[in-house]
Amino acid sequence: MSRIVVVTSGKGGVGKTTTSAAFATGLALKGYKTAVIDFDVGLRNLDLIMGCERRVVYDFINVISGEANIKQALIKDKRSDNLFILPASQTRDKDALTQDGVEKVLKDLTDDGFDFIVCDSPAGIERGAALAMYFADDAIIVTNPEVSSVRDSDRILGLLQSRTRKAERGENIHEHLLITRYSPARVASGDMLAMEDILEILAVPLIGVIPESVSVLQASNSGVPVILDKESTAGQAYDDFVRRFLGETVPHRFLEVEKKGLFKRLFGG
Amino acid sequence: MKEQIIDLKGEMSLLTVLVLHSGNMHSISTALETKCQQASQFLERSPIIIDCQLLGETGLELDFVELKLQVSKLGLVPVGLRNLWEEAEAKALAAGWALLRPSKQQPTANIPPVTEVNLTPEYPEAVQRLLVLDRPVRSGQQVYCPYGDIVVLQHTSAGSELLAGGSVHVYGALRGRVLAGIQGDIQARIFCERLEAELIAIAGRYRLLDEIESNLKGQSVMIYLDQEKLKIVPI
Repeated sequence: MSRIVVVTSGKGGVGKTTTSAAFATGLALKGYKTAVIDFDVGLRNLDLIMGCERRVVYDFINVISGEANIKQALIKDKRSDNLFILPASQTRDKDALTQDGVEKVLKDLTDDGFDFIVCDSPAGIERGAALAMYFADDAIIVTNPEVSSVRDSDRILGLLQSRTRKAERGENIHEHLLITRYSPARVASGDMLAMEDILEILAVPLIGVIPESVSVLQASNSGVPVILDKESTAGQAYDDFVRRFLGETVPHRFLEVEKKGLFKRLFGG
Repeated sequence: MKEQIIDLKGEMSLLTVLVLHSGNMHSISTALETKCQQASQFLERSPIIIDCQLLGETGLELDFVELKLQVSKLGLVPVGLRNLWEEAEAKALAAGWALLRPSKQQPTANIPPVTEVNLTPEYPEAVQRLLVLDRPVRSGQQVYCPYGDIVVLQHTSAGSELLAGGSVHVYGALRGRVLAGIQGDIQARIFCERLEAELIAIAGRYRLLDEIESNLKGQSVMIYLDQEKLKIVPI
């Protein structure tokens, strides 16, 4: 059986697609056959972050409407043999998504022997987001250390407990909180919500904290998932997160203000 | 546009009802005469309905022609009969009476005197009297227990809403809105471990947390209604 994981947040711009790309790549690099689906129909972005935008022939909606089969639409990643991307359609809108269609695609992927199916949810709580979460076994809730993002995540947690197949069957989705764009320095100066405050409000197990890093933007623009940037703090934090998801116990890093050494203080850093 | 000449409408008007206790025409006319003398001003030319419910079967013996005559003679305008024994209907119609549909109310004479007012609202059978939640109440979630208490074993989030006919207990931070006694129960109370609510209300009297003394924010409190004022006390 495939494990279906939705990456969701409610609020836009918090790093869902960056996280989906890094997460799926990380799972694939650990040897798991992984598919990542872009549910943001009409605002196709995942293929850009994954660096496969020039290889899109068929998309998710084509498969749902029967114009292509799943094998034709899946794009094999250049960097890993285990990773496949199912892009969204850019010319359609989210109404083209149907629950039966989504279920069929997920079943096809399960039958194909995928270990993990990562669903990259669009922002909001409408159709696209609702269908991205409906069949999920696990949910990664991406939150920025900022009040509106935390409130929207709280709303999404409520929906995960009521508007999913698991909830309808009386089971629980596994919820994991991932805090992104975390800046210990700004927390210390009081500009940003601290991790403890977010956990207090959301009361969901923490699976990772990704520090604010310039490498995330660079990675997005160059179409290389940031987890592949082993030098960057964000890349390392994403790797920790994937390992925790797979059951390893990994201590949290990058939570304290980095103490600048003499060299950095003299030359900047 | 064509001018409207008449309108036919079904309306309720206040009418005097004459309740007959006996079918004896002679006693009726005597009693009626006495009544009219006592209140001639009040009853003159007033339309009247004759209620025959108390007569039951004896309604058959009533002389409907004579009844109409007697009523008119005393200056009343007979409108019709109601609650007449079914077998007597043809006889009444033949005498020129109109038959009115029976009123839903009992004749005034039969209404038991009001001795006590039932203050506790009657709950329908098998309603939920207690709702216990062991998960946090999230933003956008609404918990509704119209006739009972709500107990939350975790926190409630900003943007959530608890609506209870009875009291509300929150064993955690209370951050959303909370409305107790929504059916008007002024004895309903709100208890929470940490008061951070946006809005609190009991039986329709509400307060925003913005207005609340800051020393109570974040405290364990009980909220109750004292006359018309919401009182918040630490516990």
